[in-house]
Amino acid sequence: MRDAIREAARASLHLLSGAAIAVLCQLMVPVALFTVLLTVTVIGAGVLPESVLLLRRLAGRERRRAAAWTGAPLPEAYLPLEGPLPARVRTAVSDPGTARDLVWAGAQLVYGLLLWCASLVLWAPALMVDGVVALLAGRRPVVLPLIGRLADLGAEWSRALLAPAPSAARDAALAARVEQLTATRAGAVAAHGAELRRIERDLHDGAQARLVALSMRIGLARRAYDSDPATARKLLDDAQTQTEEALSELRHVVRGIHPPILTDRGLTGAVRALAASSGLEVEVSVTGPAGHGEPPDPDPAVGRAPAAVEAAAYFVVAEALTNAAKHSGADRASVTLAREPSALRIRVEDAGRGGAEAGERDGSGLTGMRRRVAALDGTVRLTSPEGGPTLIEVELPCAW
Amino acid sequence: MRVVIAEDNALLREGLVLLLTSSGHEVAGVAATGPEILPLLLEHSPDVAVLDVRLPPGFRDEGLRAALAARERLPELPVLVLSQYVEEAYAAELLGGGAGGVGYLLKDRVGRVDEFLDALERVASGGTALDPEVVTELLARRRDDPLKSLTPREREVLELMAQGHDNGTIARSMVVTERAVHKHVGNVFLKLGLPPGDSGGHRRVLAVLAYLDA
Repeated sequence: MRDAIREAARASLHLLSGAAIAVLCQLMVPVALFTVLLTVTVIGAGVLPESVLLLRRLAGRERRRAAAWTGAPLPEAYLPLEGPLPARVRTAVSDPGTARDLVWAGAQLVYGLLLWCASLVLWAPALMVDGVVALLAGRRPVVLPLIGRLADLGAEWSRALLAPAPSAARDAALAARVEQLTATRAGAVAAHGAELRRIERDLHDGAQARLVALSMRIGLARRAYDSDPATARKLLDDAQTQTEEALSELRHVVRGIHPPILTDRGLTGAVRALAASSGLEVEVSVTGPAGHGEPPDPDPAVGRAPAAVEAAAYFVVAEALTNAAKHSGADRASVTLAREPSALRIRVEDAGRGGAEAGERDGSGLTGMRRRVAALDGTVRLTSPEGGPTLIEVELPCAW
Repeated sequence: MRVVIAEDNALLREGLVLLLTSSGHEVAGVAATGPEILPLLLEHSPDVAVLDVRLPPGFRDEGLRAALAARERLPELPVLVLSQYVEEAYAAELLGGGAGGVGYLLKDRVGRVDEFLDALERVASGGTALDPEVVTELLARRRDDPLKSLTPREREVLELMAQGHDNGTIARSMVVTERAVHKHVGNVFLKLGLPPGDSGGHRRVLAVLAYLDA
């Protein structure tokens, strides 16, 4: 009984705030009429967008109220009122949300007040009837919950009237997607910049410096050539060593940019080579259209993912297999490359002891993988419970 | 020796021709693209072919494919494959047939003229020349106990064996006697549980590589 009273009181408060909004809606009527009058006579078109904003704020309050009562979010989707006055007026009038808000305001001023009145009327009989039912007959109260139903009804009507139109919902979803793409593009540009700086530094500090030293050695050897052949010979030996080191470093840099085997063999061939050299028994499978083994020979560009996607996929597999070989304790793993209409999906699983996420065991490698994938608007899913198995799933969006 | 070369970069091609002719070899034919290789080899049947992996028109692994195709048509033809980078998978494909007379080296190695010519002659006479980098990768992968039980010297001997050197060359490059090398080789085979090897040759290389690749 006490719970039922408390619940009914809560519903009454909710209905009271609904009535308050209904009163505000009542006030909106003269505001709306006034605005229409001013706009039609072109004296005060500037008032129109402001009135629409006021209406939106009111509807927004009702959305939050209904959402709080039902517990389900009630999203709002309006066109932004921006730009010069004529554009703002045009948007304010053409936004389907404006018409819906007006319809709601008209309805709310009726049902908001009516529902609240009904709840007031119900209280006295409810207390009497339920007092008898609950205290004397020991049954559950029957009339008090009706007040809660009234509040439900109000929230339901508001939801029906204020939910964004399907097209508006689509617009809102698109806006969210644009926001996400903007963020990932910024990430991609930043990652690209960092990559370029890394390559520049590697070349500058490594190969370039070695070539300068090499040129010096050769110059010195030329000077010593006649007078001191033994020294000249020693200098030339050094020069040769330095050349080899420079070449080795260049190979390293090239591998980091785009592994040459991707060019030679395509992603499938390159992943098979990774599997063969991983030290694990790795089963490689390729699924999807045109995924049967090697890309067609005459034109390697046909049916291949963009180079950046292939390179990222290659590094994902390399990293995953390295981790599996180093840490998982597994002696076998499986790699699946799935070509889907708009994405490349990579799945690497090992039957090891798991726990790859815990304790940042190989944090930097996994972080690097995530960053590289995120830069291409892809996603990484890692499941590695303690005790295994470890499963890495990566999806890279791409057009074939 | 009569040599056929396939290399698309003009500078490197001329360098190779100069290197070979100045050390007394004859360059029988020169190819600059992948499709030219096989007809050239069939026409000249040289003592050894030196092929670049990446060649026009596709700039992928035309040279390697030509090498494999040539070995199918002319099983005895020694082939030395050169590449800007080494890939274990390619080494496995070249050695896959089991026959000798195969080499797979980084282009960088050409700079060490004497060693390069030595490798070329080894390949031409049915031996093996495997780039140290491939061997290093193979060794880095096997982290099991038998390899750990090798002394640094024995490990060095193992690496040189895997590259295709015979005992004489190993002795010279380690500056020890051939008898000492022989002893090290025996120890390596014992520790790795391999059947005792002969003094050199392709079979020994295959045995060592098979062990490393297992």
